[in-house]
Parts: sequence; C-alpha cells; structure tokens
Amino acid sequence: MKAMILAAGKGTRVRPITWTLPKPMIPLIRKPVMELLIEHLHRHGVLDIAINTSHLAPLIENYFRDGDRFGVRIVYSFEGALVDGEVQGMALGSAGGMRKIQDFSGFFDETFVVLCGDALVDVDLGRVLQFHKEKKALATIVLRDVPREQVTKYGVVEVCKDGRVLRFQEKPSVEEAVSTVINTGIYLFEPRVFDFIPSGQEFDIGGQLFPALVAANEALYGVVEPFNWLDIGSIPDFWEATRMLLEKQLPGFELPGQEVRPGIRAGINLRVPWDRVNIQGPVYIGSGTDIGAGATLIGPSVVGSGCVLQEGAVVRECILGDYTRVSSAAVLERKIISGGKCIDPTGQYLDINESQIGWIVDDARKRMQLTAAEAELWEQVRDYVMA
Amino acid sequence: MKIDCKEAGRYMVVKVLEQRMGADRAANFKDEMCKLIDQGHTAFVLDLSEVNFIDSTGLGAILSILKRVGKSGDILVTGASNTVGSMFKLTRMDRVFQMYPTVDEALSARV
Repeated sequence: MKAMILAAGKGTRVRPITWTLPKPMIPLIRKPVMELLIEHLHRHGVLDIAINTSHLAPLIENYFRDGDRFGVRIVYSFEGALVDGEVQGMALGSAGGMRKIQDFSGFFDETFVVLCGDALVDVDLGRVLQFHKEKKALATIVLRDVPREQVTKYGVVEVCKDGRVLRFQEKPSVEEAVSTVINTGIYLFEPRVFDFIPSGQEFDIGGQLFPALVAANEALYGVVEPFNWLDIGSIPDFWEATRMLLEKQLPGFELPGQEVRPGIRAGINLRVPWDRVNIQGPVYIGSGTDIGAGATLIGPSVVGSGCVLQEGAVVRECILGDYTRVSSAAVLERKIISGGKCIDPTGQYLDINESQIGWIVDDARKRMQLTAAEAELWEQVRDYVMA
Repeated sequence: MKIDCKEAGRYMVVKVLEQRMGADRAANFKDEMCKLIDQGHTAFVLDLSEVNFIDSTGLGAILSILKRVGKSGDILVTGASNTVGSMFKLTRMDRVFQMYPTVDEALSARV
C-alpha cells in the first residue's frame, strides 16, 4: 500500500503558530505531528509516501527530505509557483492534489491511503485494508464513533449495515444528525478513483469526490474503527493534545527524554538547582535549558530546548517553544509561547514586540535590552510586588 | 486621549474612550489623570472596557498614577478584556491593583 499525506494547507485556524510553522510541523512534545504519522505508516509497512506541500513547504521538505531517516521513501508534490522568490500557493484541493501526482507518473498504481498531515492517529491500517479488500471497495472512509454532543464539529456519515455509505452531513446539529459516526479524514482508494477526479482543477474529497461516487452508485464504504485520533486543527486542539500526551492518556505514545525526577522528563545538559526550584509534573524540559533558583514550573507543561527560566519566574501549565526566556518578573499561566507570540489556549494572543513585554518573556537568544518604558515598569512592579 | 469622568461616591470613575493604550497615548493619559489628582481626587475606578490593546508604556502610566496618589489613594481597575487582562497578569500588576469585571461590581464591592 502507498500513501499520500495532505500537507499543503495554510492552517488558518492554528494562527498565529502557523504564520511561521506549517501545521504538519507543529510539535507534539518535540516531534512534528507528521513525523508521528510517518512512523505509524512505517510500522504498517507503508513505505512509499507522497506529500503535497505549499505553505512554508521548505520547512517540511528540509525536515523529512527523502524519508531515509524514517525508513520510508518520500516524494513531494509542490502546489504553487515561486514568483520573485515568494511561494504563491495554488489551491488544488485534496482530490486535486492527488490527481496532480497521478497525472505526473501514475504513482498510485495500487491501493493507497490518504491522511491529513495534522492529526495524530494510531488506526490499524491492516484491518482497514482487509475490510476495503473484502468489500471490493473503490473507496473506504475510516469512521469513528463519537458521543452525540460532539457531532456538530464533524462531518457525519450514514452507513448501512454492510458498511456502504448512504449519505453525508457536514457539521449537523445534535438533533438533525443521522448518526454518530464521523469522517476522520483517513481514506483508502483504488487507482480507478481517478476516473472521478478531473485534471488541473480544484477538487475536494469530502465535498465533491464522495458525492460523485455516491451519485454514480460506486462502491464507497465506511468502516468504524476504535482508535486514538488527536486532531490539531486549532489552537485549543493543540493545547488539549499536548496536555493529553503529557498526562499519558494516549497509549503507545512515548514521551521523549529521561525521567529525571518523578513526573519530570528532560533532555540532556540541563542546569537546574533541583533543591531550590519548585517543579511539579507532568513536565518535559528540553535539553540545554537553564532554570534559576526559586523558579516555579507546574505541569502539565512543556519547556523547549535552550530555554531560560530566570530566578523566581513562575510558569504554570504552559507550552514554551525553544529558546524562550521567562524573566524573574513573569507569571506565565496557561500560555503557549511560539514565534514571538504569547498565545492563550483559546487562540487569542499578544505580540511580544508590539506589547513591549520582552522583559517578561522573549527569545532567549536576544540580548535582554529593555526599552526605557520596560525598564521603568519593571522597576515599579518590582517595588510593589516584590516588596 | 479621550476619557469620560463621572463621580460615584468617593470614587471618580474614569472611562478610557480609546481602543489602544500604547506609547503614543500614555503621556497624555498621565496628564489627564494628574489634572484630576491636582483637583483633589485620590480614589479612582479606571474603566478599561473600551481598550483592546495596552503595552508596557500604557501599564507604566497606570502604575505611575498609583504612585502619584500615594498610600492614601485607591485605584480599582475594571472591564479589562482578555488581552488587557493578560497583560496585567503577565506583569503581576493584577496583584498591585484590585480588578473587577465591571464598574458596578467594583463600586458595590467597596461600599
């Protein structure tokens, strides 16, 4: 079986993180979500993988390269054009992206699986493939049963007893939902599916291809599988997924680093005066991080590599990107620090430069040079708070 | 800097009628507040419900007013939006000022 990973999206719902990082590269405790996905494909013997890229494509392509490091073979399908050195995206849609690859060389010459690059899944692909073959399906959708109150967030699918798809509902109300099984964005296809996808135009799997298959009375099946599915389609999703992984709620997911104290995992070469800090897990601390005496770090939290938590800094339930400096003056509670932004779990954010809060939290590689206003405020706050 | 002032008991309720309290507005805000202090007011409810952006200069201006009214003074902050509230919390200024969701809640808490 071959695979295609959809990785060309702009990730608008995960801004501001996706201003600087394409969604598949968002790390779930150090590892880009797509790396976890590729590892899963490798475990299931899926070794030839096509990835479509567009938004911030070099970040994906330079990380995974030809796939050798992950034991797979990767080819990229770049969707867009370089105009004056700038990438201009070319929207092809999910099915249109598949078609572009097929038109190039007929890459998909056997059953293939299509997945989104921004969700962590541990679905048993072998079992899905067996179902797909048994049904002689042209397309199989992997479905998941969810509590009824959650159907409003998803594409609901109605299937009959033998698994044949009857109809789709996009984000229905709880009352109107015809079932509680939802489309997870994982599909198996036979190459003949390209008969239903036009060349050189935008075409969507869910919105156009599947309705066309239903209308043509083709063998479109759905199989309900119990599996873990961590979607990071939005900032709240990313927040929840990271916390779930820290709290070991996903079986099979191995946290990186070594357990250096109960509930505290860490990389190497840390500088932490353990007897003079208050650190409560679950916490992951990246390599080369420097934590000052009197600092407080409460989990679930992730501290990236090369971070500095100065003396007395308070960090509670945060996800700090690499090279984050948290100053002595700071109380960081339920924040994500990424790409120069200080982000709430809801997605609201402050720009660190614009708000002049570099004296609270900033890039640790920058010289700590306070503006006059910052220095004055720091002094005054210190007078009041530290007194 | 546009502000709206209303007396309520011993408090002067000052509503900031600007969306941004950044470096360009802070000095002006300080001047307006100093005028009120010079008139003898020392207790304020500062209503920030219209403000959706504040930076360190803006926070510094509010803190300097507190300094100016001194120990006898009292400044309550109300209506801080998510982002403004975040700034108070990040800088620990939420420990310097008592903060309330609305002016009414601030006033009734102080009756």
